[in-house]
Amino acid sequence: MSISGNQKAIMMKEKLNANFAKKGVFTGLFSGCTWGLNSVLLGLALSMVPIMGESAAIFAIPLAAACMNDSFAGLWLLLYNGGAGRLKEILRSLKTFPGQMVCVAALLGGPIANGGYLLGISLAGPAYALTITALYPIVGALLSRIFLKQQIVPRVWVGMLLSVVGAIVISYVPPEGGNSETFYLGLLFASLAALGWGAEAVLAVFGMSMIDPKVAINIRELTSGLFLAVFVLPIVGGWAIVSQVFTLPGTLGAFAIAALAAAVSYLAWYKANTTIGVAKGMALNGTYVMWGVIFSVIFLKSPLTQNLVIGSLLVLIGATLVAINPKEFFKKGEVA
Amino acid sequence: MADTLPLRFRVLHYVSTVDKASAGEIMKALKPEYGTEKQFTKKVFVDHLLDMKANFILDDNDVELDDKGELVIYYSINDEGRRLLKKYLPKGWNQN
Repeated sequence: MSISGNQKAIMMKEKLNANFAKKGVFTGLFSGCTWGLNSVLLGLALSMVPIMGESAAIFAIPLAAACMNDSFAGLWLLLYNGGAGRLKEILRSLKTFPGQMVCVAALLGGPIANGGYLLGISLAGPAYALTITALYPIVGALLSRIFLKQQIVPRVWVGMLLSVVGAIVISYVPPEGGNSETFYLGLLFASLAALGWGAEAVLAVFGMSMIDPKVAINIRELTSGLFLAVFVLPIVGGWAIVSQVFTLPGTLGAFAIAALAAAVSYLAWYKANTTIGVAKGMALNGTYVMWGVIFSVIFLKSPLTQNLVIGSLLVLIGATLVAINPKEFFKKGEVA
Repeated sequence: MADTLPLRFRVLHYVSTVDKASAGEIMKALKPEYGTEKQFTKKVFVDHLLDMKANFILDDNDVELDDKGELVIYYSINDEGRRLLKKYLPKGWNQN
């Protein structure tokens, strides 16, 4: 069969676009893997923080950790973008509406969702709060369907659902009798977290149609870190924790290394979201729960329980369904 | 002169002013504005174009092979891309 120049060019273009999407899928998986690494490293860094009383443990320490994680990640990304000659792009982007939307995304995904997550756990108990917050990829997919008109095929929905169920199985803790007064308020805060993370992805993807994802994520991390440092930490007494950490070089270094994993992960997540769409990007990022289990078992010698194995398998099957169209995979070994 | 746009935004804007353009043609046109920057590479431009195509704001309906047999994709703006530009292009920038 002879192929004319034009047909050959069309085939080459199709291949280029397919490879680009395939790369997006791997970027999404990589973001999940590095986020799992960040969770484990952040856990290690937190274990090095001196004990400062029970009340500090609930809000001050987690929020101080979130602030340091985002701020340090923002600084790592400044180094990266500086090296690539993109520092000017940050200011240029901030002057445009899409760039400003990335700042709003940062506040939704950073302080609001993180705060809601912590309040949800403390008021409603982890059993319910973690189950609700694990729904964030579904929230993101729904919002992207509504606001970005992104099409989501049934296969991706099923995969995402399996991943979410897997994440819930992994983080399952037996429920304790809820304190009725604060219980529902806790559920509300947990829902706010899921909504915040979902909305972050959608707003960021909107912004990234016009600005560079590598710049967008830098803006996101710096905005979130700065907001937490200036407005949230003073309220919860978080600065006492941060100043303690700064006196301990080992602990400070641990936070900085964890933040490097966060920077790499977020960079990959934003890139994947814009390349393959919010639904797939979020579902593949959601594999972090499984990666977290794998890293904990390898590096921290955590016991591998039945729940962890079953949950991780569900996440794996779900993510595979999201990423690969079985029909095409078996036909030609191509990723849809 | 209006503020310099972020590169991706400017690429979208440039494509809106012509019928169609390849990465090479866009680079040639934007060289006076961004040519001295380290990010001014073919790889960066191609990535912006592929991302905007994946986000359904550019179309890539026209392709050909150049003299060396290498693929050249011509991108054109579609209705969604125009809608975004109309809404979010900063003041001082004209939309054609």
